Amino acid sequence: MLKKMRKGGKCCGSDTEPLELHGLKKVVLVGNPNVGKSVLFNRLTGAYVTVSNYPGTTVEVSRGKGKIGDEYFEVVDTPGMYSLLPITEEEAVSRRLLLNEHPEAVVHVVDAKNLPRMLPLTLQLIEAGLPVVLVLNMMDEAKKLGLDVNVSSLQKRLGVPVVSAVFVKGEGVEQLKRVIKENGKLVS
Amino acid sequence: MASLLVNEMNYNTDIQAAVQKIESSLKHTYKLSTRTIALLLLQGDKEIHQLVQEKENSYAGIQKVIQETSVAFEQPINYVITLKRQELTNSLLADAVKEGKVTDNNRFSEILNKLTINPFTGIPILLLVLYYGLYQFVGVFGAGTLVDFLEADVFEIYINPLVNVWTARYIPWPVVQDLIANDYGIITLGIRYAIAIILPIVGTFFIAFSIIEDSGYLPRLALLVDRVFKAIGLNGRAVIPMTLGFGCDTMATMVTRTLETKRERIIATLLLALAIPCSAQLGVILALLSGKPLALAAWVSFLTLVFLFIGFLTAKLMPGDKPIFYMEVPPLRMPTIANVVSKTYTRMQWYFLEILPIFILASVLIWAGRLTGLFDLVVKALEPVMNLIGLPAEAAVAFLFGFFRRDYGAAGLYDLQQNGALSTEQLVVAAATLTLFVPCIAQFSMMLKERGLKTALAIAGFIFPFAFLAGYVLNLLLKMIGGI
Repeated sequence: MLKKMRKGGKCCGSDTEPLELHGLKKVVLVGNPNVGKSVLFNRLTGAYVTVSNYPGTTVEVSRGKGKIGDEYFEVVDTPGMYSLLPITEEEAVSRRLLLNEHPEAVVHVVDAKNLPRMLPLTLQLIEAGLPVVLVLNMMDEAKKLGLDVNVSSLQKRLGVPVVSAVFVKGEGVEQLKRVIKENGKLVS
Repeated sequence: MASLLVNEMNYNTDIQAAVQKIESSLKHTYKLSTRTIALLLLQGDKEIHQLVQEKENSYAGIQKVIQETSVAFEQPINYVITLKRQELTNSLLADAVKEGKVTDNNRFSEILNKLTINPFTGIPILLLVLYYGLYQFVGVFGAGTLVDFLEADVFEIYINPLVNVWTARYIPWPVVQDLIANDYGIITLGIRYAIAIILPIVGTFFIAFSIIEDSGYLPRLALLVDRVFKAIGLNGRAVIPMTLGFGCDTMATMVTRTLETKRERIIATLLLALAIPCSAQLGVILALLSGKPLALAAWVSFLTLVFLFIGFLTAKLMPGDKPIFYMEVPPLRMPTIANVVSKTYTRMQWYFLEILPIFILASVLIWAGRLTGLFDLVVKALEPVMNLIGLPAEAAVAFLFGFFRRDYGAAGLYDLQQNGALSTEQLVVAAATLTLFVPCIAQFSMMLKERGLKTALAIAGFIFPFAFLAGYVLNLLLKMIGGI
């Protein structure tokens, strides 16, 4: 821990990038607290970062390596953020990351049960000109609540790819990988 | 890209005009669009202001635009923008989401949810969670049964005698013998503390804690104690760093980042350093006092009092706004075994790898200290302080250990008690003082990193004398009421 901190530099334990990840294209996971970013991170990288059922489990940026198609990517997990205008220090950590790095894809993970509270951040990310992929996670819980989300209509209106998922069960991970790969071709 | 949508985001003509003006005076490129930068400037984002001030010559002009625009609105610009965004979101969702019937109405989890939040039922539930999760599982099973087994049956019968005999036989120099074996050796003290005392306690704690975390209980606890926490300058949100502190205060100090104001972060850091025992400390103390309910009650109530009193005082003394409380309350979920296992495992691994070298280093330092006579000197110097709070001179050793790690000090206390060196009152005083006294080296360096040198030093400078003062008062109190 101590060692990790020193390596992390002054404030966020996140400014430095391990050498083995240097030069890889980046996929950054962002979104409100407690929507499943860390579960996705674990799924994409095969690593383990702590996952819990309360907001604010992740307070530092975690980085790992994941294979998408036949290419390796750097996957970055971030502390939860509600908006691009940060209030808490954990949000500031995530925003700083978007201000300083140049991701290939910004995966906005949202809780499909609470779209009215989650989508304003999607709008801000799109407005910021970032290569956004929207992921509607916890679709199973949303369905139980009787919510029927029309993914293609949302995709059309937003103008960004939308993927539905249940990450704890592994659903949607493969589709997300495909989308990131195709989207990457479009951007570059 | 997605230009259609961006065009739909018309906040308001005044804001739109201001954004365009600001955008045209931004000459540098940013990782975020100039539109976003302009909007953040308008909303008074400090970090972006600083960034733009450094990069652009036109900063003064931009400030003027912001000034003029904000005067035109009754509400803060941030509010106007947020409202517009919500409107657009709602219109998007009106087309895309159909609300049907709730198909799976989980009545049980709904009832449980209500019970945990309501004070009349929530407090008994909290007590149940504490009793079974903490006291029975961590204190009695982890720190009692498991530690006894590893300590008495494994180390004392097999490992320690074996190590002592071997070193005596194969190493001719007593100095080196003492480094590895005997009272303070690397194996007989450092590794024994780590494996036989700390590991089972921390392990059982992390199992219990992982289950509580994954169930979604913590945010509900936050709602429950919000009112009490308000009185000490925090709000329900601080429940999470505080409860994490019972696992490891170092980890928890980092998690104070989730609090909104600097004031809250400082209060929380101070309280963590002062009054929240970490899992190892807690486990050892639970084990020490578990046979004596009154003593345990005295320790718990004294620390709760100190926690509330110091929190209340800091909240009064420190200027700043009162925090407002909002927090996501996720659904109650059944914890999955796989996640509980991997989380407990990673935490134990992290913890163990962190403490082992420190414990070994501490053994070496103590060995060197004894060799040079420095150790006895420090213990001698602490003796009057020990006497002052009614403890025997030997207790100084535990306090000295505590400097290295909170848990190391607690483990030292365990040894003292095993030797029958302490009376019940002395045990309570020692446990309470030791709990208050140390932010260990790791926690202190985390405080440095998160709060800065000045605050960290101020907190440590307050805690050291305060802990002994509190021990002194507690000792007097216990004497006054005629002991436990």
